[in-house]
Amino acid sequence: MANEILEEHINSEYKWGFTTDIESDTFKKGLNEDVIRLLSHKKNEPEWMLEFRLKSYRYWLTMKEPSNWAYFPYPKIDFQEISYYSAPKVKPELASLDEVDPELLKTFEKLGISLEEQKRLTGVSSNIAVDAVFDSISVKTTFRETLAEKGIIFCSFSEAVQEHPDLIKKYMGMVVPYTDNYYAALNGAVFSDGSFCYIPKGVRCPMELSTYFRINSSGTGQFERTLIVADEESYVSYLEGCTAPQRDENQLHAAIVEIIAHKNAEVKYSTVQNWYPGDKNGVGGIFNFVTKRGLCVGDYSKISWTQVETGSAITWKYPSVILKGDNSVGEFYSVALTNNHQQADTGTKMIHLGKNTKSTIISKGISAGVSNNSYRGLVQIKKGAVNARNFSQCDSLLMGDKCGAHTFPYIEIKDKTAVVEHEATTSKIGEDQLFYCNQRGISTEKAIGLIVNGYCREVLNKLPMEFAIEAQKLLAISLEGSVG
Amino acid sequence: MITIKNLRASVEGKEILKGIDLEIKAGEVHAIMGPNGSGKSTLSNVLAGRADYEVTEGEVTFNGKNLLELAPEDRAREGVFLAFQYPVEIPGVSNINFLKTAINETREYKGQAPMEAKDFLALVKEKQHLVELDGKLANRSVNEGFSGGEKKRNEIFQMAMLNPSFSILDETDSGLDIDALKIVASGVNKLRTKDNAFLVITHYQRLLDYIIPDFVHVLYNGKIVKSGGKELALELEEKGYDEIKKQFETV
Amino acid sequence: MSISLENKISTAQNLTAALSRVGDKNNVFGFDMIGEALQFVEIEGLPTNKHEEFKYCNVDAVFRKEFKEINNSFSEINMPPVVVDAINVYIINGRFESVSGKAEGLVICDLVAAQKTHKEVVEKNLGAHAKPTSSVFVALNTAYCQKGLFVYVEKNAKIDKPVYIHYLTDPISVSVINPRTLIVCGAGSNVQIIDDYYSKGANFFSTHTSEIVVGENAQVKHYKIQNEGDNAFGVITTEVVQSSNSVYDAATFIFSGSLVRNNHHVRLFGQNIEAHLNGLIIGRHNALIDNHTYIDHAMPNCNTNELYKGIAYEKSSLVFNGKIMVRRDAQKTNAYQSSKNILMSDDASIYTKPQLEIYADDVKCSHGTSTGKVDEDALFYLKARGIGDESARKLLLQAFAQELIDKIEIPSLHDKVLELFEESLK
Repeated sequence: MANEILEEHINSEYKWGFTTDIESDTFKKGLNEDVIRLLSHKKNEPEWMLEFRLKSYRYWLTMKEPSNWAYFPYPKIDFQEISYYSAPKVKPELASLDEVDPELLKTFEKLGISLEEQKRLTGVSSNIAVDAVFDSISVKTTFRETLAEKGIIFCSFSEAVQEHPDLIKKYMGMVVPYTDNYYAALNGAVFSDGSFCYIPKGVRCPMELSTYFRINSSGTGQFERTLIVADEESYVSYLEGCTAPQRDENQLHAAIVEIIAHKNAEVKYSTVQNWYPGDKNGVGGIFNFVTKRGLCVGDYSKISWTQVETGSAITWKYPSVILKGDNSVGEFYSVALTNNHQQADTGTKMIHLGKNTKSTIISKGISAGVSNNSYRGLVQIKKGAVNARNFSQCDSLLMGDKCGAHTFPYIEIKDKTAVVEHEATTSKIGEDQLFYCNQRGISTEKAIGLIVNGYCREVLNKLPMEFAIEAQKLLAISLEGSVG
Repeated sequence: MITIKNLRASVEGKEILKGIDLEIKAGEVHAIMGPNGSGKSTLSNVLAGRADYEVTEGEVTFNGKNLLELAPEDRAREGVFLAFQYPVEIPGVSNINFLKTAINETREYKGQAPMEAKDFLALVKEKQHLVELDGKLANRSVNEGFSGGEKKRNEIFQMAMLNPSFSILDETDSGLDIDALKIVASGVNKLRTKDNAFLVITHYQRLLDYIIPDFVHVLYNGKIVKSGGKELALELEEKGYDEIKKQFETV
Repeated sequence: MSISLENKISTAQNLTAALSRVGDKNNVFGFDMIGEALQFVEIEGLPTNKHEEFKYCNVDAVFRKEFKEINNSFSEINMPPVVVDAINVYIINGRFESVSGKAEGLVICDLVAAQKTHKEVVEKNLGAHAKPTSSVFVALNTAYCQKGLFVYVEKNAKIDKPVYIHYLTDPISVSVINPRTLIVCGAGSNVQIIDDYYSKGANFFSTHTSEIVVGENAQVKHYKIQNEGDNAFGVITTEVVQSSNSVYDAATFIFSGSLVRNNHHVRLFGQNIEAHLNGLIIGRHNALIDNHTYIDHAMPNCNTNELYKGIAYEKSSLVFNGKIMVRRDAQKTNAYQSSKNILMSDDASIYTKPQLEIYADDVKCSHGTSTGKVDEDALFYLKARGIGDESARKLLLQAFAQELIDKIEIPSLHDKVLELFEESLK
C-alpha cells in the first residue's frame, strides 16, 4: 500500500515536468514531499534512498526547531524560503572556478592562494585529491584513478549511491541517524551531494583527500553529506574548506559528516571554515548548523578533528567522537575566531564507552568586535569505560570590551577509574607584548596577527602544512580592523 | 645622532623626568647611572615611545627627525633599539618568525624587498654565535620559558639581527651572573662600530667593566646631575649614591 | 492532612483560596508578593530534568512523595549537643523558635517582629535579593514561609561569638518546611554565621531561602553544615549581595541527605570585594547532592575564589555547576574556580559544569575541574609502609579534604566538622 502511494507520487512528479524545466537548475523555493521526490528523481536515486529522505522529512516535520539554543537570538529561518537544489546549468570547467565570482577571487588573492587553489582543482598539485562541491552538487573529483589503484573510493556522494549502494546503505546514518537532531533530519531529507570516501583494509591513503565546499547561488541552502569509512588498519587525512560569496541574506548550511573508524584505523579530519560571516553591521552571512560525528567502532582506532573556524554569521558545531572500541582515541583541536557580529557556539562531545579510551580537547577561542564566542563541550564517561582518560583545555582571548567569551563544559562521569581534567583560562593581548613587538619595528596590526597565531599554535600545528598557512593568513585577515 | 633637549615626562600625572639634556654622537657609548627611582627606565621607555609615558616638554632629535612624533614601530624602523629590562614572553610565536617579521617590516618601511629566506637563516646562524645563543632557543617561542640570562642574551641577539644605529640597554646586567654578563658584554662590544651608538643604563658599575663607556652621566631625581668619563662610574661605585643624594637633595 | 508538592501546585491554581493565607500573621510577605509567587508557581510548574538548571537533579520523585502538612506543634526534637561557644538560634520545623545569648549591636528575632522594629531594613531587602519569581522553590518559600529569621548586625558592630543557627525538624511528622532567613550585616560589621542543618531521621522537604546582605567594609564568615540523614530533601537557596570592600567567606560541608540542592549565589555590587565559596561534599547511599554556584561580577576590581571537592560513594551522584559571570564593566576581575572529585564506587556518578561567561577583556578568569580515583601511587607508598588498604585510603581522603576543613577558623567547629567527616567515611 505504502509503495503504491509512493509510486503514485513519484509518477506525479512527471506531471511537474521537470524535463522541460531543466534549463532552470535551481528549484523553486519551498519544501514538501514533492520537492524531495523531484530532488531524488533528478539525481536518479534508487528507491531506498528516496525512502530514507522521506522518513527523514516526516520525522523532521514532527520536530521543533531549536530556538534560543545558545546565547543569541537569530532571525527565524523560513524553511519555505529556501531552494533545496541548485546546480550550475553547465558543469563549470575547472579552470573557470576562479572566474565564477570575483569576490572569491579577491579573497583568494588576498590570501595569496589563488594559484594554489587552481592547481588543486586542476590536479596539478601532486598530493591532494579534491572533491569540489558547488552549491548542491559535486562538480569534480580529482585523482580518482590514482586512488582507485589502491582500492580507495573517493567520489561524490551521489555517485557512491549509484556505484556503491551496499556501502552507503551500511554506513549512512550509522553515526548520525536522521533522528539525531532537527538539522540532521532536514539534511536527511534534502541533502544534495557531498563526498564519500572508503579506505580499504590495510591501506594508508597516499595523499590528502579534500572536499571544497562552496555556496554560490543566492536563496539556496547547502545540505551536503560526507561519509568517511576507514576499514581496519587504514589511515586517511581529510581536509574540508568552505567559502561563500558576500550576500546580504542569511543562507543556511546544514551539513552532516560521519566518520567510521574500524580496528586500528585512523582518520584525521581538518576543516578551515570560512563561510561568509556577514558584514560589519551583522547583515548577511551563513548560518552554519552542522552535525559532525565520528565513531571509533574498532579497538585501537583513532579519530582526530581539527578545525579553524573564522567564518559564518552563526556557527553551531560540535564535532564529536564516540569511543566505542577499547583503547580508541578521540581528539578535538579547535580555533574559533569571531569578529564584528559573529556568533559561534562550538565545541565537542567525547563519549567514552570502551576500556582505556582516551580523549584530548584543545580549544582556543578569540573574540573581537561585538561578537560572542562560546565553547560548549561534553565529556561523558559511561559505566564500564574502565581507565578512560580525558584532558581538556579551553582558552579564550578577548579583544576589546564589547565582545564575549564563554565556556560551558559538561562533564559526566560514571566510572570510578576515570581520570578527567578540564582547564580554562581567559586572557587578552598584553599591552607589553604589543609594545615589545612595536619596539622591534612590527606594526600593531601585524603584532596582533603574530600573537593570535602564537596563541593558536598548538592547534594550527595539527593541520597539514598547506592548510596551516592558509589558516594563519585567515586568522590575520579576520582580525583586520578589530583594533583601533 | 641623538639630541635630547630639556626632556620632561610624567607617568600617571607624576613628573619623573625633569629636564634631561643629552647628546650622543655616532660611535659613542654613554652610560647612565643612578639610584632606584631616579628615572632611568622612564628615559628608555620615553625614547622607545611607550604609551603610558607622557612627554610634557622638550624635544628629541634622532638623525634629524623629531623622534617624539614617531610611532614606536617607526622609531624602531628608524634604528632605535631598546633592550628591555624585563623582556616579555609571547607564547606560541617563534623567535625566528618574530625576527623575520621585524626585519621584513623594517625593510618594507625603507622600501626594500623582503629578505630571502636563505640569507635570513645565514644571518641567524652568524649572529647566534655572537651571544652564544643555543640554536634551539632561536626556534622556541619568544622568551617563553627562558631563564633570566637567556632572555637578556636573546635581547642582544635581536639587536645583532636588527642592526640598529642607536641601542638602549635598560639594566641589561640585572639578574645576570658574571659569566652571562661577560657574554652579553662581549656581544655588545662586537657590535660597536664608528657608525652606531649605545646608551647603557645601569645601577651598578659592574657592567661598565666590560662595556667601556666614553661618557658617564648620573641621573638623580629626573635630572642629569653629574657627567664625566668612565672614572665617574668607579667613583660612584666607591662612594655609593648617598653622596650624590646628599649633594642634590635640596636642589 | 497529607499533601504532596504537586497538590500544592494545584492549590496554587486556586489563587483566592491560597491568598487567604495572607491573613496568616506568621507570613511576613504581603498580599502582592504572595500573589506574585503563587502565580509564578502556577505558570512555571515544577522543574523536570529537561530544565537546563535541573539537568542532573531529578526532583521529580520528590514531588510524588507524600508530605504531611506542616505541623505547628512538634512532638519530639533531637536537640544537638552544643559544642561551640556561640549565640544559639533554633529554627524548628522551619519556624523561628528561640535565641539564647546576645551581643551588642546584634538583633535576632522573627521576621514578623522585625517588620515592626526594623521596618526599613526588612522592606528594602526581604524578597529583593531572592525574588519570588527567581525560582519555583523561592516562590513556594515566599508563599508558605512562617516566622522567618531576622539577623541584623549593626554598623561597625563586631560580634565575637558566632551566631549558630540550628535547623531542626521533627522526626515524627513528614513535612514540607519553608525556613526563611534575612541576614543584614551593616557597614563595617564583622560576624560569623553557622547554619547547622541537623535533623537525623526526619523526613521532609525544605525550601530554605536565605538572603544575606553584606554592607560596605563588612566581613562575614558563613559556615554551612548539612547532615540531615537519608530522608531529607531540599532545594536551598542562598542569595548574597555584597557592597564595596566587603568580604564574604563561605564554606559548605555536606555529609548526608537524600536530595540536596544548594543554590549559592553571590552578587558583587561594588568594588574591591572579596568572595570565597568553598565546599566539601560526601555522597553516600543514594544521595543526590547538587551544588549550583553563581558569582556575578558587576563591577571592577573584585576577587573571587571557589573550591569544591566531592567524594562519591555507593550509588550517590554529585553535581557541581558553577558559573562565573563577568559583566562589561567588571574590568580587572580575578575569578578562580576549581572542582575536584573522587569516585569511590562503580555506581557513583559525578557531573560537573564549570562555566565562564565573560564580557570584559582585562580580566583573569580560570576554572579547572578534575575527577579521578584515589592516587594509586600514593596508596601503594602507604601500603609499602605497612598501612592497611582501608586506613591508607582514609588517610588519602583526609588529605584531600583537609584544606577545606582547615578553612574553619573556630577550633571547636573545626573539630566537630572533622569528626563528622571521619564519621561519613565509615
